[in-house]
Amino acid sequence: MTGGGDILAVDGAGPGEAEETLNFQMQPEFEEPQATADAGPFSTASDEPPFSRRVLTTPLHLSVAMESITNRWTDWNGYTTPEILTTLDDEYRALRHAAALADISPLVKYRIGGRDAAIYLDRLVTDNAMRLSVDEVMPVVFCEDRGFVVGDGHLFRLGEDEYRLVTDELHLAWLLDSALGFDVSVEDVSVALAGLSLQGPHAAAILNATGFFEVETLRPYAARWFDIVGMPVYASRTGATGELGFELWLDPEDAPMLWTRLIDKGAEFGIAATGYALRELARIEAGIPRAGRDYLGAFSAVDAADASTPFELGLASLVDLENGHFTGRDALRRLKQQDPRHLVVSLALDFPEPVQFCAVERQGEIDGTATSVVFSPALGINLALVRLKYRPAPVALSVGVDLREGLSVRRLKIPARLLTEPVIGSPLRHAVPAPLLAEY
Amino acid sequence: MRLADRSFDAIVIGGGHNGLVAACYLAKAGKRVILFEASDHLGGAVTTGEITPDYMISTASHLIEALPRRIEKELKLSRNGLRFAARNLPTIALSRDKRHLVLSSRRRDIAALREWNAHDAAALVEFSARLKAYAAALRPLLLGVPPSFTGPSSDAVTALRRLVWRMRRLGQPSFEDLLRVLPASIGDLVDATFETPLLRAAFAFEALRGTAEGPYSPGTAFNLIYRRALQLETRGTSLPRGGMGALVTALRHSAEGLGVAIRTGAAVRCIIVENNVAVGVETVAGEFLRAPAILSSVDPRATMLDLVGAANIDAGLAMRLAQTSRRGATAKLNLALDGLPTISGLAPAEYGARLLVVPSLGELDQAFASFKRGEVPAELGMEVTIPSVADTSLAPAGHHVMSVLIQHVPYEVAGGWTLQRDRLLDRVIETLARYAPDLRARIIAGEMLLAPDIEAKFGLAGGEWHCGEMRPDQLLMFRPTPELARYRTPLRGLYLCGAGSHPGGISGLAGQLAARTVLSEGGRA
Repeated sequence: MTGGGDILAVDGAGPGEAEETLNFQMQPEFEEPQATADAGPFSTASDEPPFSRRVLTTPLHLSVAMESITNRWTDWNGYTTPEILTTLDDEYRALRHAAALADISPLVKYRIGGRDAAIYLDRLVTDNAMRLSVDEVMPVVFCEDRGFVVGDGHLFRLGEDEYRLVTDELHLAWLLDSALGFDVSVEDVSVALAGLSLQGPHAAAILNATGFFEVETLRPYAARWFDIVGMPVYASRTGATGELGFELWLDPEDAPMLWTRLIDKGAEFGIAATGYALRELARIEAGIPRAGRDYLGAFSAVDAADASTPFELGLASLVDLENGHFTGRDALRRLKQQDPRHLVVSLALDFPEPVQFCAVERQGEIDGTATSVVFSPALGINLALVRLKYRPAPVALSVGVDLREGLSVRRLKIPARLLTEPVIGSPLRHAVPAPLLAEY
Repeated sequence: MRLADRSFDAIVIGGGHNGLVAACYLAKAGKRVILFEASDHLGGAVTTGEITPDYMISTASHLIEALPRRIEKELKLSRNGLRFAARNLPTIALSRDKRHLVLSSRRRDIAALREWNAHDAAALVEFSARLKAYAAALRPLLLGVPPSFTGPSSDAVTALRRLVWRMRRLGQPSFEDLLRVLPASIGDLVDATFETPLLRAAFAFEALRGTAEGPYSPGTAFNLIYRRALQLETRGTSLPRGGMGALVTALRHSAEGLGVAIRTGAAVRCIIVENNVAVGVETVAGEFLRAPAILSSVDPRATMLDLVGAANIDAGLAMRLAQTSRRGATAKLNLALDGLPTISGLAPAEYGARLLVVPSLGELDQAFASFKRGEVPAELGMEVTIPSVADTSLAPAGHHVMSVLIQHVPYEVAGGWTLQRDRLLDRVIETLARYAPDLRARIIAGEMLLAPDIEAKFGLAGGEWHCGEMRPDQLLMFRPTPELARYRTPLRGLYLCGAGSHPGGISGLAGQLAARTVLSEGGRA
């Protein structure tokens, strides 16, 4: 099956909103708007006034809730998202040794289409987007005029003139500003598209058993349409875990059915539903900074000193200064000649139990901030993403930790070391074809 | 001879006065320059046209107020045929009770005013002196490349500090007063200064002419200072013999004498960009021409967004350019008359003056409100010249042409201009007839250019005469945007040299300063 039939279009969602708002107000309050088969996939969204709800649930909410034994929830982009469904250890074990299933619908998704979509995106992102072929994905970062990162994400090319940008934060205003002078349409399709992530060594095997035939032939950062018992699913070999893994994009109506199918078929492979805490843990182990957490977008940063360039985020490999213009190129050319002001790097703290800390010190002086701290169960050490002042020469770093033992507290100074490469990275990530169970 | 057979050091896009001035200065420095003009005549809105056979008039702008003497001299405009029918034109505010007011601080005119209102006579002397002092302090900023905020030498701070210092020399009360005046509205300023309604309205009109602002819009007082500062470079308001087109003809002769190749009827389709360097242009006819320096006197917004293309510049810059304001608010009426209309109370020698027809300040504010609502104002403020009084070449003997700038005419009007055009025309003639009752009977022919006509005829976006409104947030280091204010663009080899760049107005200074910038860098090479 090909990408010709666009299940993602939300053209019908816009008009008649005022009229429907009125209808909603006349309805008795207890009558919950329900997505019935004949009401279409977007009825839930259009039956109520825009922005009436601050607390949103994903199309997979009930399916995910079924798996929860902790009832621990958190907020992700306004969506109620499981923090931990069972225990973090179990979920982590599934990720590294079997397969971890997660609902990633809260990610922000933009559909970008039109005659100029390719050159528009090429001007938007720092990398050369012109080389992206249909059914390929590339990690992208995009900057404003001064070369400061606005956001990052993944760019999917769905068709000749159709792309999808998946990001952590909202960027519609910037995407529309950038569209000036281009024949493109940019729309937020976050609600119209559900996302599932299946990560772990058994991911390919489970998908194969679920009906994703020959999914193992997908190269990293490749994607393809599949037909799973009549449901069109777009599967991409992506994921922010440093693990072999796939992300599945489909109609929100179909998502619960696919979820159930994956849980059923994956049971024998050790599949486990997982929450947001695991996503964060895996991300930090893989050393991937997250917008809004480890760095501030250029438009969120009040002070330019708080914004970051791609070089400061360690994303220099996503910057192509040679091929074609993009927003911020002149600035980045200049910045490349200079030392970065700070660096976002991974830090390891060899201490055998979870600790919390903020300040990273160098000879007693605060030299940086830890933005994400986790305890890695696999390595038995603490890992952090930190924002350090740039030093041309390596320096000895330490962190101060308050350790509580019963009712007494001990203040420790623990040496920390900088990591130059991710501590965890499964070799299966790059394997083509992806190994099925027999070969593992 | 084919273009490709010759090589040029610089390409100038757009043959307006600034484009021509830039071409001349480059050629003077020994550069081989070619100039492309899209229409079949040079000059853009600085041009002389025919109302009807034998009646010639400056089609759009009608007076030279800001062309520096230095440019006139350096480009030998006089030797190239520029003659003035009249220099140092007085400005007279027409009054409905026939007590017309000469706006000058000459002793004779002040004495006349003193008989009318002694307070205002003193106030006018003081106001003129103050205005002149402020203008003089601002002047150095107008004559150079605007200071920059970015880069290693953040000289904007230095420049502003120097400006403050110059202002300080005016004395403490003056300095305080200036700080208050800079963001003030002209309406508040004249209300506080003068008593005579006509004097108030006349100065308010002077500040508002050509802008899309009302008398009580903040920042309009600065307009008056800025305009006065530009006028310091020249010897008063002057009327070129043969209309404004004569200035362009002289510039053309000067350019051709210096060896500039001029191509009219050759529109540039796009500027060719290779790896962040502007390397040449492609014409609509499909010709390619490369040169190390390309200067565009076209509207900066059109240059960057249409000729260069948004894909070649940063998104933020594209947005800022798109957001620069272009609200056309001035219409033009040109009339051919079979005799001099009688303006009661005006001395025969004064018919050649610059005549202001202004309603009261309140009515001017109402006119601005109508403009905002997209309606034809009830009372119109106008600037009128009868150039044929001083320049007999414009009309047959005994006959005359009249040129009227009409302020606060919106680009779009409720009901559409096809329906409203005659209503506006009627209102203009009616207003003028209050002062010259026989005007209507003397009209032989006429043409009226509304903002959409000016846009179509001269390619000025929004029918706005200055390629970007001249208001404090779009002047100096903000013209057209902070990053483009120094004539350079993010693309190496591409420069802006038109009225949309600092300092604006019919001064040619933008062209001169852009050429100087190019020469200081030696082009791209």
